[in-house]
Amino acid sequence: MPRNSKAFLPLITAAIFIAMEIAAVAMLKSSSTLQDVWLNRASHRIMGRLWSGGETVRNHFSLSKQNDALTEENFALRERLREYELAQEAAAEAGESAFMTGRRFTYIPATVVKMSRNSMHNYIILNKGSEDGVTTHSGIITNKGVVGIISAVDKHYSYGLTLMNTNVSVSSRVGRSGMVSPLIWDGKNSNRGVLKDIPLHYSIEPGDTVVTSGFSNIFPADIPVGITGETEIVYGSTSQTEVILFQEFGALRYVTIVKNPERDEISALEKREEER
Amino acid sequence: MRKPGFLLMYILLLTAQILLGVYCNFTSLFTLTLLPVMVLCIPIKRSTIFCMVAAFITGFLADFMQDGMLGISILALVPIGLMRKGIIQLVFGSEVFSRGEDISFRRQGIGKMALAIAMVTGIYLAIYIFVDCAGTMPRSFCFMRWIISLAGDTILGLFAADLLTKDELGRWR
Repeated sequence: MPRNSKAFLPLITAAIFIAMEIAAVAMLKSSSTLQDVWLNRASHRIMGRLWSGGETVRNHFSLSKQNDALTEENFALRERLREYELAQEAAAEAGESAFMTGRRFTYIPATVVKMSRNSMHNYIILNKGSEDGVTTHSGIITNKGVVGIISAVDKHYSYGLTLMNTNVSVSSRVGRSGMVSPLIWDGKNSNRGVLKDIPLHYSIEPGDTVVTSGFSNIFPADIPVGITGETEIVYGSTSQTEVILFQEFGALRYVTIVKNPERDEISALEKREEER
Repeated sequence: MRKPGFLLMYILLLTAQILLGVYCNFTSLFTLTLLPVMVLCIPIKRSTIFCMVAAFITGFLADFMQDGMLGISILALVPIGLMRKGIIQLVFGSEVFSRGEDISFRRQGIGKMALAIAMVTGIYLAIYIFVDCAGTMPRSFCFMRWIISLAGDTILGLFAADLLTKDELGRWR
């Protein structure tokens, strides 16, 4: 028993000390108006800091939810922007009877579940599948550029090949009205691609913007991809240009799946024409 | 000459503190106090809880009789009661507790006594001046008041401590 009481002695001492100090503060508050006001102000300041600190911690832990909400909002805005672009294109078509370039794409927000970056054939798995409307040969983009192409779809997940895959090629254009050429990964750096098969008579300056051409039925036109770097001649017949990609694959979390609902119709038409 | 008992001397010093507090308010830059030294010199064998209770009663009586802000001396003095053992151990070493001897000028020397008195007075004054100013005075003024009061009270505290500590030299001869 004495050992127990010795163990509790610091606690008892602390409790008595706190009780005495509280009593002193209570006496002080009742005996002096100045000290009363000062103590009240100090207590309000401390409580304010505590509450704001708690709020900061709570906000920190809800960042993930806020991110999700912002991403959803971003997708909705992008959808609206696309609608405006389509309306503008329709107006242009009506005015100039230009050939049809605008196709109605739908955008599906998705989160990266898994992604490989350390092989020649890298892939990405997203948390949206056929139940969410995802189909194969849909594009994967972010606001920084092209990420990849969906190659297989399950009920709740989809599997795509990223641009960091030597089997993936994206039809790209240098500038808004420049030359169109396939863009592939250089196989060495995560942020470098190569524009292949460029005829020698085209001269590409370093620093030009590379965007999607819109010819592939997978990606809408004019999605930024990267900027051009050095150009070199290959086997004396064509040249190839290095492209520094805008998309950083290391920091990828949220993406947008771009689906072209008219793709099957266009593919069927192409197939029919090839068979003839 | 044998000195009077500790309790009697303690009451006399408390009375002196009350009288000084009432009649010797010369300047707002100097806070005269003997209370922390009185708590420091409570016999070693007394527990921390006893010292805190003694500090509470002493502070209450001082505030009540001086007709000042009731509670301010208690607020500053109770922490001295809590920290007293730690300060004694820090300045005089733990042998004081193992021998059970009370602190005194002859045994510990004036240097260590002055240091211990300055420490308790400094802590007391820091709390007292902080609460007394209540954010209405500039910090430079509060700091100046603390420095001047600490210097004066440490010197006064040496005399008070001499009155309170027993001279037990004869026992050790």
